[in-house]
Amino acid sequence: MLIVNKLSKVYDAHGRRVEALADITFSVAEGEFACVVGPSGCGKTTLLRCLAGLLAPTSGTATVQGKLAVVFQEYGRSLFPWLRVRDNVALPLKNLPKDERRAKVTNALEAVGLTDAAGAYPWQLSGGMQQRVAIARAIAYGPKVLLMDEPFAAVDAQTRADLEDLIRDIWQRLGVTLLFITHDIDESVYLGQRVIVLSAAPSRVAEEIVIDLPDERDQLTTRGDARFVELRGRVYAQIQKAKRGST
Amino acid sequence: MTIVRRIVVLLGLPVALVAGWWFASAGSTDFFRPSLQRIMQAFAETWLGPRLVDEVLPSMIRFVLGYAAALLIGVVVGVAIGLSPKARATAEPVLEFLRAIPPPVLVPIIMLFTGIGDTTKIIVIVSGCVWPILLNTVEGVRAIDEVLAETCRVYRIKPLRHLVLRASSPQIVTGARQALAIGLILMVISELVAASGGLGFTIRQFERGFQIPEMWSGVLLLGLIGVALAGLFHLAERRTLAWYHGSRDADRK
Repeated sequence: MLIVNKLSKVYDAHGRRVEALADITFSVAEGEFACVVGPSGCGKTTLLRCLAGLLAPTSGTATVQGKLAVVFQEYGRSLFPWLRVRDNVALPLKNLPKDERRAKVTNALEAVGLTDAAGAYPWQLSGGMQQRVAIARAIAYGPKVLLMDEPFAAVDAQTRADLEDLIRDIWQRLGVTLLFITHDIDESVYLGQRVIVLSAAPSRVAEEIVIDLPDERDQLTTRGDARFVELRGRVYAQIQKAKRGST
Repeated sequence: MTIVRRIVVLLGLPVALVAGWWFASAGSTDFFRPSLQRIMQAFAETWLGPRLVDEVLPSMIRFVLGYAAALLIGVVVGVAIGLSPKARATAEPVLEFLRAIPPPVLVPIIMLFTGIGDTTKIIVIVSGCVWPILLNTVEGVRAIDEVLAETCRVYRIKPLRHLVLRASSPQIVTGARQALAIGLILMVISELVAASGGLGFTIRQFERGFQIPEMWSGVLLLGLIGVALAGLFHLAERRTLAWYHGSRDADRK
Protein backbone atom coordinates (compact mmCIF):
# COMPACT_ATOMS: atom_id res chain seq x y z
CA MET A 1 0.00 0.00 0.00
CA LEU A 2 1.05 3.54 -0.68
CA ILE A 3 0.23 6.71 1.25
CA VAL A 4 1.08 10.22 0.11
CA ASN A 5 0.40 12.90 2.69
CA LYS A 6 0.69 16.65 2.02
CA LEU A 7 3.67 16.08 -0.20
CA SER A 8 5.37 19.14 -1.64
CA LYS A 9 8.57 19.66 -3.56
CA VAL A 10 10.27 22.95 -4.30
CA TYR A 11 13.37 22.97 -6.46
CA ASP A 12 16.01 25.60 -6.31
CA ALA A 13 17.13 25.69 -9.92
CA HIS A 14 19.93 28.19 -10.52
CA GLY A 15 18.50 30.70 -8.10
CA ARG A 16 15.01 30.33 -9.49
CA ARG A 17 12.49 28.78 -7.16
CA VAL A 18 10.39 26.15 -8.92
CA GLU A 19 7.43 24.74 -7.10
CA ALA A 20 6.75 21.38 -8.72
CA LEU A 21 4.41 19.75 -6.21
CA ALA A 22 2.25 22.00 -4.04
CA ASP A 23 0.27 19.68 -1.83
CA ILE A 24 -0.39 16.12 -2.90
CA THR A 25 -2.45 13.78 -0.79
CA PHE A 26 -3.78 10.42 -1.92
CA SER A 27 -3.40 6.76 -1.15
CA VAL A 28 -3.47 3.54 -3.09
CA ALA A 29 -4.93 0.53 -1.32
CA GLU A 30 -3.24 -2.83 -1.19
CA GLY A 31 -3.67 -4.60 -4.53
CA GLU A 32 -5.17 -1.56 -6.22
CA PHE A 33 -4.26 -0.34 -9.69
CA ALA A 34 -4.24 3.46 -9.82
CA CYS A 35 -3.15 5.79 -12.59
CA VAL A 36 -1.82 9.30 -12.16
CA VAL A 37 -2.47 11.60 -15.09
CA GLY A 38 -1.93 15.30 -15.53
CA PRO A 39 -1.03 17.98 -18.04
CA SER A 40 2.56 17.87 -19.28
CA GLY A 41 5.05 19.52 -16.94
CA CYS A 42 2.85 18.94 -13.91
CA GLY A 43 5.53 17.23 -11.85
CA LYS A 44 4.52 13.62 -12.44
CA THR A 45 8.09 12.45 -12.58
CA THR A 46 8.96 14.49 -9.49
CA LEU A 47 6.13 12.70 -7.71
CA LEU A 48 7.43 9.31 -8.76
CA ARG A 49 10.96 10.15 -7.69
CA CYS A 50 9.69 11.19 -4.26
CA LEU A 51 7.71 7.98 -3.98
CA ALA A 52 10.69 5.88 -5.02
CA GLY A 53 12.90 7.53 -2.41
CA LEU A 54 15.15 9.02 -5.08
CA LEU A 55 14.28 12.57 -4.12
CA ALA A 56 13.66 14.05 -0.69
CA PRO A 57 10.34 15.94 -0.49
CA THR A 58 10.41 19.53 0.76
CA SER A 59 7.60 18.72 3.16
CA GLY A 60 5.06 15.99 3.72
CA THR A 61 5.58 12.27 3.43
CA ALA A 62 5.40 9.50 0.88
CA THR A 63 5.13 6.07 2.47
CA VAL A 64 5.50 2.84 0.57
CA GLN A 65 4.65 -0.22 2.61
CA GLY A 66 6.53 -3.27 1.40
CA LYS A 67 9.15 -3.93 -1.24
CA LEU A 68 9.16 -1.45 -4.09
CA ALA A 69 10.07 -1.87 -7.73
CA VAL A 70 10.18 0.86 -10.38
CA VAL A 71 9.89 0.71 -14.15
CA PHE A 72 11.46 3.84 -15.59
CA GLN A 73 10.43 5.76 -18.65
CA GLU A 74 13.91 5.57 -20.15
CA TYR A 75 13.93 1.80 -20.54
CA GLY A 76 17.04 1.86 -22.71
CA ARG A 77 19.01 3.66 -20.03
CA SER A 78 17.74 1.65 -17.08
CA LEU A 79 19.04 -1.70 -18.35
CA PHE A 80 22.70 -2.62 -17.89
CA PRO A 81 24.18 -2.81 -21.40
CA TRP A 82 27.01 -5.13 -20.30
CA LEU A 83 24.62 -7.77 -18.98
CA ARG A 84 22.55 -10.18 -20.99
CA VAL A 85 18.78 -10.08 -20.55
CA ARG A 86 18.70 -12.89 -17.98
CA ASP A 87 21.50 -11.31 -15.95
CA ASN A 88 19.76 -7.95 -16.01
CA VAL A 89 16.68 -9.59 -14.52
CA ALA A 90 18.79 -11.57 -12.02
CA LEU A 91 20.96 -8.68 -10.82
CA PRO A 92 18.65 -7.41 -8.04
CA LEU A 93 18.28 -11.01 -6.79
CA LYS A 94 21.97 -11.48 -5.95
CA ASN A 95 21.38 -12.54 -2.35
CA LEU A 96 19.02 -15.40 -3.23
CA PRO A 97 20.20 -18.99 -3.64
CA LYS A 98 21.16 -19.80 -7.21
CA ASP A 99 18.28 -22.19 -7.97
CA GLU A 100 15.66 -19.83 -6.63
CA ARG A 101 17.14 -16.95 -8.56
CA ARG A 102 17.16 -18.91 -11.78
CA ALA A 103 13.54 -20.00 -11.30
CA LYS A 104 12.41 -16.42 -10.69
CA VAL A 105 14.22 -15.16 -13.77
CA THR A 106 12.74 -17.90 -15.93
CA ASN A 107 9.22 -17.22 -14.66
CA ALA A 108 9.52 -13.47 -15.11
CA LEU A 109 10.85 -13.75 -18.65
CA GLU A 110 8.09 -16.20 -19.47
CA ALA A 111 5.48 -13.81 -18.06
CA VAL A 112 6.60 -11.05 -20.41
CA GLY A 113 7.09 -13.38 -23.36
CA LEU A 114 10.85 -13.04 -23.63
CA THR A 115 12.04 -16.58 -22.95
CA ASP A 116 13.83 -16.70 -26.28
CA ALA A 117 15.68 -13.43 -25.70
CA ALA A 118 17.25 -14.48 -22.37
CA GLY A 119 20.73 -14.69 -23.86
CA ALA A 120 20.59 -11.45 -25.84
CA TYR A 121 22.01 -8.10 -24.81
CA PRO A 122 19.40 -5.34 -24.24
CA TRP A 123 20.72 -3.24 -27.12
CA GLN A 124 20.03 -6.10 -29.51
CA LEU A 125 16.29 -5.80 -28.76
CA SER A 126 13.61 -3.41 -29.94
CA GLY A 127 12.31 -0.67 -27.66
CA GLY A 128 9.20 -2.60 -26.72
CA MET A 129 11.23 -5.69 -25.89
CA GLN A 130 13.63 -3.64 -23.79
CA GLN A 131 10.72 -2.32 -21.77
CA ARG A 132 9.52 -5.92 -21.32
CA VAL A 133 12.93 -6.76 -19.87
CA ALA A 134 12.56 -3.88 -17.42
CA ILE A 135 9.10 -5.18 -16.48
CA ALA A 136 10.47 -8.70 -16.06
CA ARG A 137 13.18 -7.36 -13.76
CA ALA A 138 10.55 -5.56 -11.69
CA ILE A 139 8.30 -8.58 -11.26
CA ALA A 140 11.16 -11.01 -10.60
CA TYR A 141 12.14 -8.72 -7.73
CA GLY A 142 8.86 -9.71 -6.06
CA PRO A 143 7.59 -6.25 -5.10
CA LYS A 144 4.51 -5.40 -3.05
CA VAL A 145 4.30 -2.03 -4.76
CA LEU A 146 5.13 -1.37 -8.39
CA LEU A 147 5.68 2.15 -9.71
CA MET A 148 5.70 2.83 -13.42
CA ASP A 149 6.75 6.18 -14.86
CA GLU A 150 5.30 6.68 -18.35
CA PRO A 151 6.79 3.34 -19.31
CA PHE A 152 5.23 3.22 -22.76
CA ALA A 153 5.77 6.84 -23.79
CA ALA A 154 8.53 5.98 -26.21
CA VAL A 155 7.18 2.86 -27.95
CA ASP A 156 4.95 2.67 -31.01
CA ALA A 157 1.16 2.44 -30.72
CA GLN A 158 0.78 -1.27 -31.38
CA THR A 159 3.54 -2.28 -29.01
CA ARG A 160 1.97 0.04 -26.51
CA ALA A 161 -1.41 -1.70 -26.68
CA ASP A 162 0.30 -5.08 -26.17
CA LEU A 163 2.26 -3.78 -23.20
CA GLU A 164 -0.87 -2.28 -21.63
CA ASP A 165 -2.58 -5.67 -21.74
CA LEU A 166 0.58 -7.28 -20.41
CA ILE A 167 0.60 -4.92 -17.42
CA ARG A 168 -3.07 -5.62 -16.62
CA ASP A 169 -2.40 -9.32 -16.88
CA ILE A 170 0.60 -9.12 -14.55
CA TRP A 171 -1.29 -6.99 -12.05
CA GLN A 172 -4.18 -9.44 -11.93
CA ARG A 173 -1.90 -12.42 -11.50
CA LEU A 174 0.53 -10.99 -8.94
CA GLY A 175 -1.88 -8.87 -6.92
CA VAL A 176 0.64 -6.05 -6.53
CA THR A 177 -0.26 -2.48 -5.66
CA LEU A 178 0.37 -0.59 -8.87
CA LEU A 179 0.76 3.11 -9.46
CA PHE A 180 1.05 4.00 -13.13
CA ILE A 181 2.04 7.50 -14.18
CA THR A 182 1.09 8.62 -17.66
CA HIS A 183 0.18 11.69 -19.70
CA ASP A 184 -2.14 9.66 -21.91
CA ILE A 185 -5.80 10.00 -20.88
CA ASP A 186 -7.00 6.91 -22.78
CA GLU A 187 -4.27 4.84 -21.23
CA SER A 188 -5.11 5.98 -17.71
CA VAL A 189 -8.78 5.07 -18.13
CA TYR A 190 -8.10 1.78 -19.86
CA LEU A 191 -5.56 0.48 -17.37
CA GLY A 192 -6.59 1.17 -13.81
CA GLN A 193 -9.34 1.10 -11.24
CA ARG A 194 -8.94 4.72 -10.37
CA VAL A 195 -7.50 7.79 -12.07
CA ILE A 196 -5.84 10.49 -9.99
CA VAL A 197 -5.83 13.75 -11.94
CA LEU A 198 -3.11 16.25 -11.09
CA SER A 199 -3.36 19.95 -11.79
CA ALA A 200 -0.65 21.88 -13.59
CA ALA A 201 2.43 22.80 -11.55
CA PRO A 202 2.53 23.59 -8.68
CA SER A 203 0.34 20.54 -8.69
CA ARG A 204 -2.34 19.23 -6.40
CA VAL A 205 -4.76 16.37 -6.77
CA ALA A 206 -7.51 17.92 -8.84
CA GLU A 207 -9.85 14.95 -8.88
CA GLU A 208 -10.01 11.22 -8.30
CA ILE A 209 -12.21 9.31 -10.69
CA VAL A 210 -13.20 5.70 -10.05
CA ILE A 211 -13.05 3.61 -13.20
CA ASP A 212 -15.96 1.22 -12.89
CA LEU A 213 -15.26 -0.72 -16.05
CA PRO A 214 -15.41 -4.51 -15.85
CA ASP A 215 -12.18 -6.27 -14.88
CA GLU A 216 -11.96 -8.12 -18.17
CA ARG A 217 -10.75 -5.48 -20.58
CA ASP A 218 -9.98 -5.67 -24.22
CA GLN A 219 -8.38 -3.07 -26.48
CA LEU A 220 -11.22 -3.25 -29.01
CA THR A 221 -14.41 -3.54 -26.97
CA THR A 222 -13.40 -1.63 -23.84
CA ARG A 223 -12.25 1.40 -25.76
CA GLY A 224 -15.53 1.37 -27.71
CA ASP A 225 -17.63 0.98 -24.57
CA ALA A 226 -19.97 3.93 -23.85
CA ARG A 227 -18.84 4.00 -20.22
CA PHE A 228 -15.18 4.20 -21.31
CA VAL A 229 -15.95 7.14 -23.56
CA GLU A 230 -17.83 8.87 -20.76
CA LEU A 231 -15.00 8.35 -18.24
CA ARG A 232 -12.43 9.51 -20.73
CA GLY A 233 -14.50 12.65 -21.25
CA ARG A 234 -14.56 13.29 -17.53
CA VAL A 235 -10.80 12.89 -17.14
CA TYR A 236 -10.25 15.08 -20.18
CA ALA A 237 -12.53 17.81 -18.80
CA GLN A 238 -10.71 17.68 -15.46
CA ILE A 239 -7.34 18.09 -17.11
CA GLN A 240 -8.57 21.02 -19.19
CA LYS A 241 -9.93 22.59 -16.01
CA ALA A 242 -6.68 21.93 -14.19
CA LYS A 243 -4.73 23.60 -16.97
CA ARG A 244 -6.98 26.66 -16.98
CA GLY A 245 -6.97 26.87 -13.22
CA SER A 246 -3.25 27.44 -13.12
CA THR A 247 -3.00 30.11 -15.79
CA MET B 1 35.71 -10.27 -45.17
CA THR B 2 37.28 -13.67 -45.62
CA ILE B 3 40.06 -14.77 -43.33
CA VAL B 4 42.57 -14.76 -46.16
CA ARG B 5 41.81 -11.15 -47.01
CA ARG B 6 42.03 -10.12 -43.39
CA ILE B 7 45.44 -11.71 -43.06
CA VAL B 8 46.59 -9.95 -46.24
CA VAL B 9 45.35 -6.59 -44.93
CA LEU B 10 46.89 -7.19 -41.52
CA LEU B 11 50.30 -8.42 -42.64
CA GLY B 12 50.60 -6.86 -46.09
CA LEU B 13 52.32 -3.62 -45.13
CA PRO B 14 54.70 -5.08 -42.51
CA VAL B 15 55.79 -7.78 -44.94
CA ALA B 16 56.31 -5.21 -47.69
CA LEU B 17 58.35 -2.96 -45.39
CA VAL B 18 60.55 -5.78 -44.16
CA ALA B 19 61.09 -6.97 -47.72
CA GLY B 20 61.95 -3.42 -48.81
CA TRP B 21 64.43 -3.09 -45.97
CA TRP B 22 65.87 -6.50 -46.71
CA PHE B 23 66.58 -5.79 -50.40
CA ALA B 24 67.59 -2.16 -49.98
CA SER B 25 70.14 -3.01 -47.32
CA ALA B 26 71.37 -6.25 -48.89
CA GLY B 27 75.13 -6.25 -49.27
CA SER B 28 75.50 -3.02 -47.30
CA THR B 29 79.05 -2.20 -46.30
CA ASP B 30 78.08 0.88 -44.27
CA PHE B 31 79.22 0.22 -40.71
CA PHE B 32 76.31 2.01 -39.08
CA ARG B 33 73.68 0.61 -41.43
CA PRO B 34 74.28 -3.09 -41.68
CA SER B 35 72.15 -5.31 -43.88
CA LEU B 36 68.94 -6.68 -42.43
CA GLN B 37 70.34 -10.13 -42.95
CA ARG B 38 73.26 -9.26 -40.68
CA ILE B 39 70.86 -7.77 -38.11
CA MET B 40 68.70 -10.90 -38.11
CA GLN B 41 71.79 -13.00 -37.60
CA ALA B 42 72.77 -10.80 -34.67
CA PHE B 43 69.21 -11.03 -33.37
CA ALA B 44 69.37 -14.80 -33.13
CA GLU B 45 72.83 -14.77 -31.59
CA THR B 46 72.09 -11.98 -29.14
CA TRP B 47 68.61 -12.58 -27.85
CA LEU B 48 67.78 -16.25 -28.31
CA GLY B 49 70.07 -17.26 -25.49
CA PRO B 50 70.83 -16.50 -21.85
CA ARG B 51 70.24 -12.76 -22.47
CA LEU B 52 66.53 -13.43 -22.80
CA VAL B 53 66.41 -14.55 -19.18
CA ASP B 54 69.16 -12.31 -17.82
CA GLU B 55 68.25 -9.00 -19.46
CA VAL B 56 64.86 -9.10 -21.18
CA LEU B 57 62.91 -10.97 -18.52
CA PRO B 58 63.84 -8.63 -15.61
CA SER B 59 62.85 -5.66 -17.79
CA MET B 60 59.51 -7.22 -18.59
CA ILE B 61 58.86 -8.11 -14.94
CA ARG B 62 59.53 -4.50 -13.93
CA PHE B 63 57.25 -3.32 -16.70
CA VAL B 64 54.42 -5.65 -15.65
CA LEU B 65 54.74 -4.70 -11.98
CA GLY B 66 54.83 -0.98 -12.72
CA TYR B 67 51.95 -1.21 -15.18
CA ALA B 68 49.81 -3.26 -12.79
CA ALA B 69 50.49 -0.84 -9.93
CA ALA B 70 49.59 2.11 -12.17
CA LEU B 71 46.38 0.36 -13.19
CA LEU B 72 45.41 -0.28 -9.59
CA ILE B 73 46.28 3.22 -8.36
CA GLY B 74 44.74 4.90 -11.40
CA VAL B 75 41.44 3.09 -11.13
CA VAL B 76 41.10 3.36 -7.34
CA VAL B 77 42.00 7.05 -7.17
CA GLY B 78 40.12 7.80 -10.40
CA VAL B 79 36.92 6.23 -9.07
CA ALA B 80 37.26 8.10 -5.77
CA ILE B 81 37.74 11.42 -7.55
CA GLY B 82 35.13 10.73 -10.21
CA LEU B 83 32.40 9.93 -7.70
CA SER B 84 32.68 13.21 -5.82
CA PRO B 85 32.23 16.57 -7.61
CA LYS B 86 34.03 18.24 -4.71
CA ALA B 87 37.06 15.97 -4.96
CA ARG B 88 37.09 16.56 -8.71
CA ALA B 89 37.12 20.33 -8.36
CA THR B 90 39.88 20.15 -5.75
CA ALA B 91 42.09 17.62 -7.46
CA GLU B 92 41.84 18.50 -11.12
CA PRO B 93 44.34 21.42 -11.24
CA VAL B 94 46.89 19.38 -9.30
CA LEU B 95 46.37 16.39 -11.58
CA GLU B 96 46.85 18.52 -14.67
CA PHE B 97 50.11 19.83 -13.21
CA LEU B 98 51.43 16.41 -12.28
CA ARG B 99 50.45 14.97 -15.61
CA ALA B 100 52.31 17.68 -17.48
CA ILE B 101 55.65 16.69 -15.93
CA PRO B 102 57.53 14.39 -18.34
CA PRO B 103 58.37 11.28 -16.30
CA PRO B 104 61.95 10.98 -17.66
CA VAL B 105 62.71 14.20 -15.81
CA LEU B 106 61.72 12.44 -12.61
CA VAL B 107 64.25 9.66 -13.01
CA PRO B 108 67.13 11.45 -11.24
CA ILE B 109 64.80 12.79 -8.57
CA ILE B 110 63.24 9.41 -7.82
CA MET B 111 66.72 7.94 -7.79
CA LEU B 112 67.71 10.32 -4.99
CA PHE B 113 65.08 8.76 -2.78
CA THR B 114 65.01 5.11 -3.77
CA GLY B 115 68.53 4.50 -5.06
CA ILE B 116 69.32 2.78 -8.35
CA GLY B 117 67.55 -0.54 -7.84
CA ASP B 118 64.38 -2.06 -9.24
CA THR B 119 62.17 0.14 -7.07
CA THR B 120 63.27 3.29 -8.86
CA LYS B 121 62.64 1.79 -12.28
CA ILE B 122 59.20 0.55 -11.29
CA ILE B 123 58.29 3.91 -9.77
CA VAL B 124 59.36 5.64 -12.99
CA ILE B 125 57.03 3.37 -14.97
CA VAL B 126 54.18 3.98 -12.50
CA SER B 127 54.71 7.74 -12.54
CA GLY B 128 54.12 7.84 -16.29
CA CYS B 129 51.43 5.18 -16.69
CA VAL B 130 49.15 6.29 -13.90
CA TRP B 131 47.97 9.56 -15.48
CA PRO B 132 46.13 8.44 -18.58
CA ILE B 133 44.46 5.67 -16.56
CA LEU B 134 43.50 7.97 -13.71
CA LEU B 135 42.18 10.82 -15.84
CA ASN B 136 40.22 8.52 -18.15
CA THR B 137 38.73 6.72 -15.15
CA VAL B 138 37.56 10.05 -13.72
CA GLU B 139 35.90 10.86 -17.05
CA GLY B 140 34.29 7.43 -17.23
CA VAL B 141 32.90 7.61 -13.72
CA ARG B 142 31.60 11.12 -14.26
CA ALA B 143 29.68 10.06 -17.36
CA ILE B 144 27.73 7.26 -15.66
CA ASP B 145 24.07 7.35 -16.64
CA GLU B 146 21.85 8.76 -13.93
CA VAL B 147 18.99 6.40 -14.72
CA LEU B 148 21.27 3.42 -14.13
CA ALA B 149 22.40 4.92 -10.83
CA GLU B 150 18.77 5.34 -9.78
CA THR B 151 18.02 1.80 -10.91
CA CYS B 152 20.76 0.60 -8.55
CA ARG B 153 19.26 2.59 -5.70
CA VAL B 154 15.73 1.31 -6.23
CA TYR B 155 16.75 -2.33 -6.63
CA ARG B 156 19.44 -2.19 -3.92
CA ILE B 157 22.18 -3.20 -6.33
CA LYS B 158 25.71 -2.58 -5.04
CA PRO B 159 26.77 0.27 -7.28
CA LEU B 160 30.56 0.11 -7.08
CA ARG B 161 30.97 -3.34 -8.52
CA HIS B 162 27.91 -3.60 -10.70
CA LEU B 163 27.72 -0.07 -12.02
CA VAL B 164 30.74 2.18 -11.51
CA LEU B 165 33.51 -0.17 -12.57
CA ARG B 166 31.55 -1.70 -15.42
CA ALA B 167 30.17 1.53 -16.82
CA SER B 168 33.55 3.24 -16.80
CA SER B 169 35.43 0.24 -18.20
CA PRO B 170 35.54 1.58 -21.79
CA GLN B 171 37.32 4.72 -20.60
CA ILE B 172 39.55 2.74 -18.24
CA VAL B 173 40.59 0.58 -21.18
CA THR B 174 41.31 3.67 -23.29
CA GLY B 175 43.58 4.98 -20.54
CA ALA B 176 45.22 1.60 -20.10
CA ARG B 177 45.98 1.44 -23.81
CA GLN B 178 47.72 4.81 -23.74
CA ALA B 179 49.61 3.74 -20.63
CA LEU B 180 50.87 0.61 -22.36
CA ALA B 181 52.97 2.59 -24.84
CA ILE B 182 54.14 5.02 -22.17
CA GLY B 183 55.14 2.14 -19.89
CA LEU B 184 57.26 0.51 -22.54
CA ILE B 185 59.09 3.77 -23.26
CA LEU B 186 59.71 4.38 -19.57
CA MET B 187 60.90 0.82 -19.09
CA VAL B 188 63.72 1.58 -21.53
CA ILE B 189 64.42 5.09 -20.26
CA SER B 190 64.64 3.94 -16.66
CA GLU B 191 67.40 1.57 -17.75
CA LEU B 192 69.42 4.18 -19.60
CA VAL B 193 70.35 6.13 -16.48
CA ALA B 194 72.56 4.53 -13.86
CA ALA B 195 71.44 1.00 -14.57
CA SER B 196 73.41 -2.22 -14.63
CA GLY B 197 71.08 -4.47 -16.55
CA GLY B 198 67.93 -4.79 -18.58
CA LEU B 199 66.94 -4.44 -22.20
CA GLY B 200 67.49 -0.68 -22.47
CA PHE B 201 70.84 -0.95 -20.72
CA THR B 202 71.96 -3.75 -23.04
CA ILE B 203 71.05 -1.79 -26.17
CA ARG B 204 73.01 1.16 -24.78
CA GLN B 205 76.00 -1.08 -24.14
CA PHE B 206 75.93 -2.36 -27.71
CA GLU B 207 75.83 1.19 -28.98
CA ARG B 208 78.77 2.26 -26.87
CA GLY B 209 80.72 -0.82 -27.86
CA PHE B 210 80.06 -0.20 -31.59
CA GLN B 211 78.24 -3.51 -31.86
CA ILE B 212 75.93 -1.97 -34.41
CA PRO B 213 74.02 -5.04 -35.71
CA GLU B 214 73.39 -6.09 -32.10
CA MET B 215 72.14 -2.61 -31.27
CA TRP B 216 69.76 -2.68 -34.21
CA SER B 217 68.52 -6.12 -33.20
CA GLY B 218 67.70 -4.76 -29.73
CA VAL B 219 65.61 -2.00 -31.25
CA LEU B 220 63.85 -4.60 -33.36
CA LEU B 221 63.16 -6.68 -30.25
CA LEU B 222 61.60 -3.67 -28.51
CA GLY B 223 59.28 -3.16 -31.45
CA LEU B 224 58.28 -6.82 -31.41
CA ILE B 225 57.57 -6.65 -27.67
CA GLY B 226 55.37 -3.62 -28.31
CA VAL B 227 53.42 -5.44 -31.00
CA ALA B 228 52.99 -8.51 -28.79
CA LEU B 229 51.73 -6.41 -25.87
CA ALA B 230 49.30 -4.54 -28.11
CA GLY B 231 48.03 -7.88 -29.41
CA LEU B 232 47.48 -9.22 -25.90
CA PHE B 233 45.75 -6.02 -24.96
CA HIS B 234 43.47 -6.26 -27.96
CA LEU B 235 42.46 -9.81 -26.98
CA ALA B 236 41.68 -8.75 -23.43
CA GLU B 237 39.71 -5.77 -24.67
CA ARG B 238 37.65 -7.87 -27.05
CA ARG B 239 36.63 -10.11 -24.17
CA THR B 240 35.76 -7.42 -21.64
CA LEU B 241 34.28 -4.77 -23.93
CA ALA B 242 32.31 -6.87 -26.42
CA TRP B 243 29.11 -5.33 -25.03
CA TYR B 244 30.41 -1.82 -25.55
CA HIS B 245 31.39 -2.21 -29.18
CA GLY B 246 28.17 -4.07 -29.86
CA SER B 247 25.96 -1.42 -28.30
CA ARG B 248 27.80 1.34 -30.15
CA ASP B 249 27.28 -0.45 -33.45
CA ALA B 250 23.60 -0.91 -32.56
CA ASP B 251 23.27 2.83 -31.88
CA ARG B 252 24.78 3.71 -35.21
CA LYS B 253 22.28 1.63 -37.19
